[in-house]
Amino acid sequence: MTRDSSRVGGLMRAGCAGLLATLFALTAALGAEQSQGITQPVVLPPFNPSAPACAVPAGLSRTLAFVQDNRRDFIEGAGYGLSRAAKDRGLDYRDLVADNSAGQQASQITALIDEKVGAFVVPPVDPDELAPTLKQAIWSGAFVGTIVPPPATTILNAPQYLTGKVLGDAAAGYIHEHFHDKADVVLLTQDSLQFLAPRFTAIRDALKDMPNVDIVADLSPNPVNEEGGYETMKLILEAHPHVDVVLGADTVVLGALRALREAGKVRPDLYLGGIDGEPGAVAEIKAGAGPYKLTVALSSPIFGYALGWEAADWLEGKSVPQAIDALPIALSTANMAQYETDQADPGAVFADPARRDVYLKRYGNVCADARDQYLDFPWSSEGR
Amino acid sequence: MPFSNRLVVGSTFAFLVVGFLALMAIVGANFWLNQRAELFFQQQISARDTRAAAVELRNAVQAAESAQRGYLLTNNEIYLAPYDVAKTQADRQISHLRALLATFPESAGPLDKLAGLISDKFDELEQTVTLKRNGHDDEAMALINTNKGKTLMDEANVFITGLVSQADDRLTNGAAEQQTNAALLELVSGAAAVVIVVVVGGAAFLLLSYTRELRHARDEVTGLNAELEHRVVERTADVTQARDRAEVLLREVNHRVANSLALISSLVSLQSKALGDEAAKKALSEMQERIFAISLVHRRLYGARDARAVQLDDYLTGLLDHLKTSLRGEGQGITLSYQIEPIELPTDASVNLGVVVTEWITNGFKYAYPGGSGEIRVRVRRLADGQVELTVSDDGVGRVEDAPAKGTGLGSRIVTAMAASLAGKVEYLSPGSGMTAKLTFQPRDIVAQAAE
Repeated sequence: MTRDSSRVGGLMRAGCAGLLATLFALTAALGAEQSQGITQPVVLPPFNPSAPACAVPAGLSRTLAFVQDNRRDFIEGAGYGLSRAAKDRGLDYRDLVADNSAGQQASQITALIDEKVGAFVVPPVDPDELAPTLKQAIWSGAFVGTIVPPPATTILNAPQYLTGKVLGDAAAGYIHEHFHDKADVVLLTQDSLQFLAPRFTAIRDALKDMPNVDIVADLSPNPVNEEGGYETMKLILEAHPHVDVVLGADTVVLGALRALREAGKVRPDLYLGGIDGEPGAVAEIKAGAGPYKLTVALSSPIFGYALGWEAADWLEGKSVPQAIDALPIALSTANMAQYETDQADPGAVFADPARRDVYLKRYGNVCADARDQYLDFPWSSEGR
Repeated sequence: MPFSNRLVVGSTFAFLVVGFLALMAIVGANFWLNQRAELFFQQQISARDTRAAAVELRNAVQAAESAQRGYLLTNNEIYLAPYDVAKTQADRQISHLRALLATFPESAGPLDKLAGLISDKFDELEQTVTLKRNGHDDEAMALINTNKGKTLMDEANVFITGLVSQADDRLTNGAAEQQTNAALLELVSGAAAVVIVVVVGGAAFLLLSYTRELRHARDEVTGLNAELEHRVVERTADVTQARDRAEVLLREVNHRVANSLALISSLVSLQSKALGDEAAKKALSEMQERIFAISLVHRRLYGARDARAVQLDDYLTGLLDHLKTSLRGEGQGITLSYQIEPIELPTDASVNLGVVVTEWITNGFKYAYPGGSGEIRVRVRRLADGQVELTVSDDGVGRVEDAPAKGTGLGSRIVTAMAASLAGKVEYLSPGSGMTAKLTFQPRDIVAQAAE
């Protein structure tokens, strides 16, 4: 094959692709009102950055709205990334807070739809209650990115099993090194959010091959916050005065740490490890030589920046990922400084493919014309 | 090193004390270990029962929960069949745990919590079952979806696991202590055995050394005794030889003296024969008899075993036989008879007595029977009071009082001197016819004088 023939072939493939895209966009525009999206779990291929573009969504403003469920640090971090991406891509950025009210969150989104806002990023207060509103936003042609639950044109998810595995493996290594494979472990779960169950499955899997490791407590604090962790740990200490390892979400582990300190049970080799990279956990780790040894962080500024970037691409008719995995980062004193640098400048990380791949993994392709292919099932890259 | 009795006794006592203490250590360690083992056995049973009760409690709750789940899913009452039994079993195990953990005050709080959680869990189970029975399926499911039941079960599991863990720790610690105690007993027994072996070895060494020492001492004493006996034998032989030599020498001396006196007597006899003067001849003849009397004593001593004493019967018999022969010239018809008891006198006393006898016999032959015939009687006897009495009697002319001495008077002076030497008493009796000369003396006095 000559260079010319190859070039002709490429032009033909591009022309065909453009025609198919136009036809697909027309079909989508006609059928979007009726589409239920993809409701059955599918395995998405890796994101193709070179996928064909579609038409620019018509009649929508270049506005990115972040409708927060609350102002917890993790979500605030996502907001920071979104705002930086909006700024870098020339989008208007609006930040609303639903104060944990599903109804308020739905109203806020409805109002924004009415305002022809072009992009939404939402951590739903109540996924089921908010789903119709989000579908309405999708049908309007807007970019809808959700933090975890569907429906959404782009779902931001965390590989929960991998997240738990990172923490479980780190704890197992510590137990092997410091406790000679024998330890009493407390596992503080999070029963209120079913989708987080793989985290704890992974932790149990990491420890199950160590016969002398006893998970002496495996229960969910209620509520899942620092106070819940504190009360639960006090209860556990009544039955098990000696514990070696405490694992769970950062908030509950911080509460457990407070209970351990009150009971005088903190000792240098005690191992506390959490998930979420909460500022309190980061502060404990940075203090050094304390019991809090590790937190598995999902960098919300970076995935926030990624969602904002994809929203801008969407509004420009480009193909965007259907799903993004926020990859877990095991934070310890060894890598804390680099992590904080990345958090402060998520745009630089996103622009560097190698550094971006440490934090993010993207799947599938979708654009405004094909928005009927939105995801309407709890997507995860870790399908069973 | 020599072993004294004190050292042996002291060391043996010390060894016995050390051995006794070692034995006591073994016995004490055994006794203590047995007590600990018995205590551990009781603790082990208690811990095992506690563990079993905790596991049974969890099984009961899980059985009840399974019954509830089955009923909620199927609405089939058959699934609830084990429920009541499980609840009863749970209550029983709670009571059992309270009894088992009564001696562990720190377990009271957690056990109360566990009892409360189990009670709440059964309340939740019964609530869902009741809702289902009354047709309120949604409410029952909603109640389950609150995760209250799971939370209660998880929390109960925390306490049940705690009880099991504590029971396991007690079992493990008890076993570890038993292992440590066994090792300690082994160490104590081994050390005590070593001590006992050392003590027995030391005592045996001491005994053997002491026995060897005794045997050596005995051999030394035996050797010394043998040497001493040898020296005694030698010394005895020397003494015997010296005595024999002395006896021989003494006999020789007596023999020489006797011979010399006999020679002197012969010389006197020769001298008398050479003289013409009858008076001188008689005087020499008398002297000869006196010398002979003395020499006869020595002659007797020559043949006698004991030179310190003389048997009078032998001596005087010989002397009288000699006088009878030698004095025949003085009186042809005079007979001499004698009666002498076997009496032993010291040599000097015998000489004196012999001289007295010689004087009186000679005097009798010369003067008693001027007619030339008659009898002279000599008698020596021991009186009742132990005195010796010498009498020389005749039936001759007797002695006239205050009459002048018929001779030189030398004989009387000799008799008096000899009697004085014998501390004796001399009497001359003349009862009418004849005369009796009598010398009485006490031999004990003579022996005492000789000793002085």
